[in-house]
Amino acid sequence: MIKIPTRVLLVDDEKDFVEMLGLRLAEVGENVTPAHSGQECLQVLEKKEIDVVILDILMPGMDGIATLKEIKKRFPLVEVIMLTGHGTTESAVEGLKLGAFDYLLKPAHFGELTTKLESARKRKDEQAERIRKAEAKLLLRKSGDI
Amino acid sequence: MKTIRLLLVDDEDHFRQTIAKRLAKRGLASDQAANGNECLSILEKKSMDVVVLDVKMPGMGGIEVLRNITGKYPKTEVILLTGQATASDGVEGIKSGAFDYLTKPIELEHLFNKIIQAYEKIRRLDAEQKEAEYRKQMAQQMIVTERLASLGTLAAGVAHEINNPLAIIRESAGWMRQLVAKDELKDIPRREDFVKALDKVEKGVERAGRITHQLLGFVGKSESAITEVNLMELTEEAIQLVTHEAQKREIKIVRQMEPSPDTIWSDAYQIRQVLLNLLTNALHAVNSEGIITIAMEDFGDSQAITVSDTGQGIPRENLDKIFEPFFSTKSPGQGTGLGLFVSRGIVEKLGGTIEVASKIGQGTRFSIRLPKQLKKTDDYNESRGENWVEKIKSRFSE
Repeated sequence: MIKIPTRVLLVDDEKDFVEMLGLRLAEVGENVTPAHSGQECLQVLEKKEIDVVILDILMPGMDGIATLKEIKKRFPLVEVIMLTGHGTTESAVEGLKLGAFDYLLKPAHFGELTTKLESARKRKDEQAERIRKAEAKLLLRKSGDI
Repeated sequence: MKTIRLLLVDDEDHFRQTIAKRLAKRGLASDQAANGNECLSILEKKSMDVVVLDVKMPGMGGIEVLRNITGKYPKTEVILLTGQATASDGVEGIKSGAFDYLTKPIELEHLFNKIIQAYEKIRRLDAEQKEAEYRKQMAQQMIVTERLASLGTLAAGVAHEINNPLAIIRESAGWMRQLVAKDELKDIPRREDFVKALDKVEKGVERAGRITHQLLGFVGKSESAITEVNLMELTEEAIQLVTHEAQKREIKIVRQMEPSPDTIWSDAYQIRQVLLNLLTNALHAVNSEGIITIAMEDFGDSQAITVSDTGQGIPRENLDKIFEPFFSTKSPGQGTGLGLFVSRGIVEKLGGTIEVASKIGQGTRFSIRLPKQLKKTDDYNESRGENWVEKIKSRFSE
């Protein structure tokens, strides 16, 4: 079976971490875009189609939670997986309430991360599918009206 | 009034006996000595609060006796009796440490009052000394607590800073592992050495990660969630988690828990962490066929859980150190040396106490006691300060 690459946006202020994890994800067939701040993350999302954002919570400037709020407001279909470096399960829970798909404790196991990525991607696809169906129905009804 | 241990020393038998009789009528019993040597030999056998001492005696004079007493028995007060002509001896006596002097002929009322005053001085000094000791002890305890608190903060800061590079190391090693797995690198020379080294890197990261997580867990205070907790159920849960290991090693777990209808308000998650830590320690302490006893007791306003093992016990020189961070007698990589440090932090944060008693060759007992109602304390050092003042107050207000 040919794997369809998930378009991943990897956001962390630790550049080496982004580089290494990016290489690993690319190696298993994902399509990775790096970003090193909340602002950069939003800029990428404006230009590029992204399936899942892997988002660090603790970042200087605009932190993960603030970034998550923006993402959900402006790009509601994009799924977000939070990375918590600290014992900040609290922020992770807050993230879930704000619409994040899931969270992972840093340092995360790669296997766990890829599994979550797959599930997030699946949910996004299903949601997109539902929207398409709903739109089609709407279109059908409208054309029936005519 | 507590019995005053009183010794009358005078060579005039009649005078001494009369005074003794009259003091006895007022409720003051006394021992008697007819000379200085007799006085000192009585003091050797029996400690006295107040000695009423005649200055002018054949043989060893009163002043010499006095110097002997103040030198050897600092907690004994001496009242000197001087003749009219020898009042200067009284002044000399006070310089040598006598409480006061009375000039013969004495009024009994006077003597009685002086004895009481001397005794009150002893009691006051005693109380002051106890208070000073108590203060010193509390101050020491606070130094330890503060040291641990600042160590904790520092350690957590370090842990957090280390987590990021750890994540980089982990991902880099993981990336190398992926590379080695690629077809094009299948036949590289010394491939096994390479993979083995990667294993070691990953294990090392794993180990460092465990330490940082535990440290952060210690400081992650804002996460605590206070709910109604059934301590007995919680304990049972914790026991269940170690039962498998206990059975495997033929260790007996004995429960001595009296069911209590009461619950406590506390943090279930954190208490479970403490209980698990104590149970795991007990498991590590005992050989197979050892016994671990878990007891629970209700004290009205608090509940206590005791975990006892029949292990080797903790040497006295280690007992003070076991709650310090990074103290461990396990081999490197086996224990982080943080279990008890973290447990103590948790229990104290929850307003409770944790204590240890141990006997070499017999075993160790850890007791935690938790209040049923958790007092909200924003600053835990401050709350300790208050306790300290209250404790002293309650101890010395009679």
